[in-house]
Amino acid sequence: MAKLEILETPDARLKTVAKPVEIFDDELSRLVEDMIETMYEAQGIGLAATQVNVHKRLLVLDVSDNQDTPRVYINPEIIGSEGSETCEEGCLSVPGIYAEVSRAEKVRVAARDRDGNPFEEDLDGMHAVCLQHEIDHLNGKLFIDYLSPLKRRMVIKKLEKQRKIAGEKPAGTVF
Amino acid sequence: MSKSSVNSARLAALSMLEAVLDKGTNLGDAEGGLLHADPRDQAQARHLAYGVTRWLTALDWLAAKLLQKPLKRRDQDIHRLILLGLFELWKGGSSPHAAINETTESARKLGKPWAVALINAILRRFQREQEAWLKELDSKEERFAHPDWLLRQLKADWPDDWMEIMKANNHAAPLWLRLNQNHAISGTIVALEKEGFSVARHPLVSGAVKISPAAAVNALPGFGQGLFSVQDPAAQLAAELLEVSDNLRVLDACAAPGGKTCHILECAPGAALTALDRSTERLALIDENIKRQGLVDCSHIKLLAADASKPDSWWDGSPYDRILLDAPCSATGVIRRHPEIKWLRSPQQVRNAINMQSRLLDRLWPLLKPGGILLYATCSVLKDENSRQIRQFIERRTDGKPIDLAAEWGRELEFGRQILPGDQEMDGFYYAVLHKHA
Repeated sequence: MAKLEILETPDARLKTVAKPVEIFDDELSRLVEDMIETMYEAQGIGLAATQVNVHKRLLVLDVSDNQDTPRVYINPEIIGSEGSETCEEGCLSVPGIYAEVSRAEKVRVAARDRDGNPFEEDLDGMHAVCLQHEIDHLNGKLFIDYLSPLKRRMVIKKLEKQRKIAGEKPAGTVF
Repeated sequence: MSKSSVNSARLAALSMLEAVLDKGTNLGDAEGGLLHADPRDQAQARHLAYGVTRWLTALDWLAAKLLQKPLKRRDQDIHRLILLGLFELWKGGSSPHAAINETTESARKLGKPWAVALINAILRRFQREQEAWLKELDSKEERFAHPDWLLRQLKADWPDDWMEIMKANNHAAPLWLRLNQNHAISGTIVALEKEGFSVARHPLVSGAVKISPAAAVNALPGFGQGLFSVQDPAAQLAAELLEVSDNLRVLDACAAPGGKTCHILECAPGAALTALDRSTERLALIDENIKRQGLVDCSHIKLLAADASKPDSWWDGSPYDRILLDAPCSATGVIRRHPEIKWLRSPQQVRNAINMQSRLLDRLWPLLKPGGILLYATCSVLKDENSRQIRQFIERRTDGKPIDLAAEWGRELEFGRQILPGDQEMDGFYYAVLHKHA
């Protein structure tokens, strides 16, 4: 198993639209395992293949309290949704930024497991939010794309500033 | 998606504190902002926001000692994050490691990464030197976490008890229920115990049971069916003191949210009850409570949105046998439930309440039948609102006489009885029973 590198915005590769998975083999299984490991390592609750520079329609997530129930969705498609809910989101590819995003409250998803078997599921709560967030990645979309242009500019500035001071000694220390 | 967006308890607590301290919202209403949070985050946010509000000046004192210079006004949020972190380290709850990490991470989420190192340094230093800091705090008045005016007033009113009162104010209150006597009480208790709650009866107040662990009331079995209401035992004494029975004309002058109104109806379903409140919105709560408790059969209930101090505008002219005046007050007896009262109440507001109380007494007294009873109640511990208020009333009126309350609860004052917060685990409450000469 290996920990993969996570792309961070404004990396243009995050805008790639991923292609469906056609071959369910050992290589795919290895990728799934590596993505799960990478997600846990980064303290994430969801990770799309796009974020590790693999442009296949594949995502992993784990919204369980103890982070011991990883889920895999391959070629996921939302086939039904209802309601709307606003939730604060953050993203491993947009570190340190959190913003409220409105999404469907409940979704029905059709996908395949790592062996290629099709399944359908009804999701709600954080599980539904996270799935929609990760499917967006597969379509080249980030959660900050939902923000108003003004807010987005502020976010991008903030990210630049963060990057600038990351190497510097933090200000304001009293000792 | 990143994990930190899930644990937003600290930021939620921070926005509750902002609503309370900057906008004067009470904590209960500030919880409205938590609706979208994960239930566990909600519980933690509530715990943190109540805790910091409860210990505000003590935490401020610690923060001032640990910060070399105060933070700028625009960094009030960082100051409050420090208070949240100090509270967690001091009063426990989560592991110190988690408390420090998540508090510093919150600064990053606020877009103030410069504060990460600062918060980290302060909290770690407090963790190391906690014992010495707390020892020094113990010699300061800040340890009571009460505003100066209230501290002075409590010392003046209760020279022997003020310290106990403040200690009780800083302890979270237990969850007390009043069991509906019209249902089998033993059945209600069994149902609660079956759900894993421990149920303890109050030694002096017959329908009162303490529920632990405390839970959201609508999560308890039987709430929707009206098997019980949330009410402190101190407040459950009102219906008994009023000596209500069927066919009496009863006025509940400041009735919302209707806890005592429903209790009166439970004891005397045939009473001709008029319940008044100034606010239409709050009056709707009474209606809701009456319906939930299945008291709709009581055909003689009248709910009026009206100002009790202006009877000309609502009184039908027939006098009452009983009047309950649960008067607007400083609420200094229920600080343990509503710690924000300490910071939101001003001495001027207390003076206004005192004036309103004497006006209500004077305007409602003529509506009482000779031989009738007026029960005056407050959830205050200040004598100006309680025994001194009643003494002045007695001096103004020749046709009123306070009845001695021989009771096991509370303590006897010159006029009326006072329950101090924490007495037999009750809220601070005051009662005086006034009898009108026949």
